[in-house]
Amino acid sequence: MTYQVRLEMFEGPLDLLLHLIREHQLNILDIPIARITEEYLRYLALMQELDLDVAGEFLLMAATLIHIKSKMLLPPDEAAEGEGEEEGDPRAELLDRLLEYKKFKDAAQTLGVLEAEQAQLHRRGAPATELEVEGPLAVSLFELLRAFRGVLRRADVSAPLEITPEELNVGQRIVVLLDLLAAESPIEFTGLFAGTLRRAEIIVTFLALLELLRRRLASARQAEPMGPIMIYRGVEYLDEQPAGRLEGEEARRLGSPRGYPEAGTSEAS
Amino acid sequence: MSAELDRRGIVEALLFVAEEPLPLARLQEVLADEDPAATEATIRELAERLEEEGRGLMVQEVAGGFRLATRPEAHPWIQRLQQVKPAKLSRPALETLAIIAYKQPITRAEIEAIRGVAVEGVMRTLLERGLIRMLGRKAEAGRPILYGTSTDFLEHFGFKDLGDLPSLKEIDELIGPSGAESPSPNSGAAAEASPAVPPPTGNGTGDPTDAPEAT
Repeated sequence: MTYQVRLEMFEGPLDLLLHLIREHQLNILDIPIARITEEYLRYLALMQELDLDVAGEFLLMAATLIHIKSKMLLPPDEAAEGEGEEEGDPRAELLDRLLEYKKFKDAAQTLGVLEAEQAQLHRRGAPATELEVEGPLAVSLFELLRAFRGVLRRADVSAPLEITPEELNVGQRIVVLLDLLAAESPIEFTGLFAGTLRRAEIIVTFLALLELLRRRLASARQAEPMGPIMIYRGVEYLDEQPAGRLEGEEARRLGSPRGYPEAGTSEAS
Repeated sequence: MSAELDRRGIVEALLFVAEEPLPLARLQEVLADEDPAATEATIRELAERLEEEGRGLMVQEVAGGFRLATRPEAHPWIQRLQQVKPAKLSRPALETLAIIAYKQPITRAEIEAIRGVAVEGVMRTLLERGLIRMLGRKAEAGRPILYGTSTDFLEHFGFKDLGDLPSLKEIDELIGPSGAESPSPNSGAAAEASPAVPPPTGNGTGDPTDAPEAT
């Protein structure tokens, strides 16, 4: 498999850490470094197995985590220059970065809500072509990887035999997935792997999915954190208003573009 | 048969033809009002009239001016008419934009330090979209480019000015004393650069991160 999915438009290592903290319901202010390092490396290994174009930042963060972990194993050194490392929690700097980043991640979410509201206000002379969106994911890459791990685990049990997949390639699998989505949309993430038992085949399917997402031929959406991930044909989910609008009731009504106009007409008359 | 054109009608006509949000001062000038308060009152009356009559348009105050926009309730029909999907910025783009909005003026390296990933591609998209702009260069080694948000940014998100940005959630209280004085190079950077780089809008509130105001 010499197929590389480019990840530049996806998330970075800080996202992965925040994802892990949420997934395992850890206290961000008291991160169990050994555990999170282990989890982090597990994801990293998975990404590398997928031959994802893992950016250097991910490796750098892995090194940072391992460094912090080793420092925490050392007994507190009274003799250490008190000036250099005040208090001396080796995690302090990482925590600062995480919190600083999370602040803007949250702010970005708010901006997204405001953007969606503004997108409903139209004005004269506005370009008919809307924004070009370069990112496809309504779920994070790590949510996808997490779901993917689940699929892989099941496969490992039921088909321990590894078969060399000479006929498998991502390009063909993309076509298969497009056909699937043309017949039915949305499909639950795990449904894409139905009947797929071989590990290599599962990996190829996943890579094909990532490529479809990147090219916006499909989109992924998750209604609630850790909930099932739905895969949509194209970007059609954009028709709906994503959950979590500032005005929930508005969102629900507008969420059914077919139903709402009729209701509105009777309201207006 | 037709009622006489009143001041509200005139403002409505002006807003209709304007391609950008019309600043109050410009409207005042055109209406030849002595007092901006008179212009403002007319705008408000127009807004009320539109609302009372259940019209499809409303007056929106955005990006330092006023414009006519369709009411949100009209959106599903407009979508039917235009068959255009309201696309959204990607999450990485929104995050990058948020950092720029709250920390401007800011260099690419400073953004990358916060996001922990390269942002070159995302920044290019944002520049092409006109949501961010180059403000100048930072007075440090290499003279890196400083970025800030544009008027289009304000319009895109419906802000009157940068003071309208929602306040960043205050996290300092969450952090114990160890992290409270976290290194925050950004306020310093903004202060350094500000003489060379005027804030992008007329509202002089400065760095919005410093002023967590009610939203």
